[in-house]
Amino acid sequence: MDKTIDLNLTFPDTKARWENFLINHGIKDFSSREVDVLDHTIGLIDEDGHLVGTGSIAGKVLKYIAVSNDDSVHGARFNQIVSALQEYLFGQKIYHSFVFTKAKYSSSFTHLGFNELAHTDTAAFLESGTPSTQDFLAKIPRIKNLNQKKVAAIVMNANPFTLGHQKLVKLASSENDLVYVFVVATDASLFKTSERMDLVKKGTANFKNVEVVSGGDYLVSRSTFPAYFLKSPDELITTQTEIDALIFKNIIAPKLTIKKRYLGTEPFSRTTNFYNQSLEKILSPSIAVKIVQRFRDNEKIITATSVRQLIKNSDLKDISTLVPPTTMNFINENYQILQERIKKGMNIDGN
Amino acid sequence: MEIKTVGVAGTLESSDIQIMISAGQNGIEVDLDSEVAKSYGDQIKKVITETLNKFGITNAKVKATDKGALDCVIAARTLAAAQRATETNDEPRLEVLQ
Repeated sequence: MDKTIDLNLTFPDTKARWENFLINHGIKDFSSREVDVLDHTIGLIDEDGHLVGTGSIAGKVLKYIAVSNDDSVHGARFNQIVSALQEYLFGQKIYHSFVFTKAKYSSSFTHLGFNELAHTDTAAFLESGTPSTQDFLAKIPRIKNLNQKKVAAIVMNANPFTLGHQKLVKLASSENDLVYVFVVATDASLFKTSERMDLVKKGTANFKNVEVVSGGDYLVSRSTFPAYFLKSPDELITTQTEIDALIFKNIIAPKLTIKKRYLGTEPFSRTTNFYNQSLEKILSPSIAVKIVQRFRDNEKIITATSVRQLIKNSDLKDISTLVPPTTMNFINENYQILQERIKKGMNIDGN
Repeated sequence: MEIKTVGVAGTLESSDIQIMISAGQNGIEVDLDSEVAKSYGDQIKKVITETLNKFGITNAKVKATDKGALDCVIAARTLAAAQRATETNDEPRLEVLQ
């Protein structure tokens, strides 16, 4: 009988053995972007002490899963690895997990109770456990006769909420019966998730037909779209943005009868630029994509990136022309805390 | 019995079943994944529902991933998951399995 053991990748010998095994099974990306985020790695050892399987956990995402096939019991080792990984997650009170995998392995996971959320030609994305997409959607507020209304959506990180964001919401609000503003839930930005959420709510309070909701695990989250938060190669960004767009198109939009998605043009962020391209390619024609030119303050394009830069440079005066009063108040009150976060190494040039 | 958290028991290995129980409002809702669902799906759901009712749970969402478990295994895994979900694992209610 094979047995599962913990693999401690901080030991160079163990790590080399693990990498070797994965390389032999076609997994070759060991960049620190991928490996440093692993919380836990397990191995499967046969009776002769050979490594015959492995799998890892990063947050709530299963990664680096590979097994040597045992001819006697088809799939047994794979099931044992996935079980052991889930057991580890359950021990951390995480009952909801995801996996990104090659499209051809999707069915191996669906046999274990995973539900495929999206797939491209090469990759598939699946979830397991609770709360699921359906639970997430059930909690989003609806209005009467939703399916007869013009419903639109905007997804934003709002780090922080600027006059540009506000104008985009205002435009969508004037052109639709209801606008869902999904705020990125992953806490990896200068402004914490609760702060971003709060500033979006305050900055859109005047628009009565706007619902501000969390993007949860599904809209630009660390699980579905890690490249948004970490510098990544083009190919990876394309796959992840396509998966994110497909989840929105196939799962989120139909339930909320969203017919239109608003985007801002992206002059600076390479990742967001890719994202906009994927959204256009995948959402239209079933969901209209409206790309709105970035709003300007005189000649200057308004971006949250420049606001963060000004905070870093202690240029508070110039910020007030870029953000609504609600955001400005918050920055004034929390200026030292924000600077402290930047000093501690919070990256402000990303998203 | 009140469900206080998510409770899980069982594995995805052959002859086992993984049961995940969370709070629900509409009776016992079983979402079953099984290769033998066509032949035994009703029976598996019946064992899960009866075990939960005997334990004192009448509303719950149950996600069951079956790998060919026998009834006694299904009942045992359901009880273990239920005790974890209600945070009563320190008082095993083995009589439910009789």
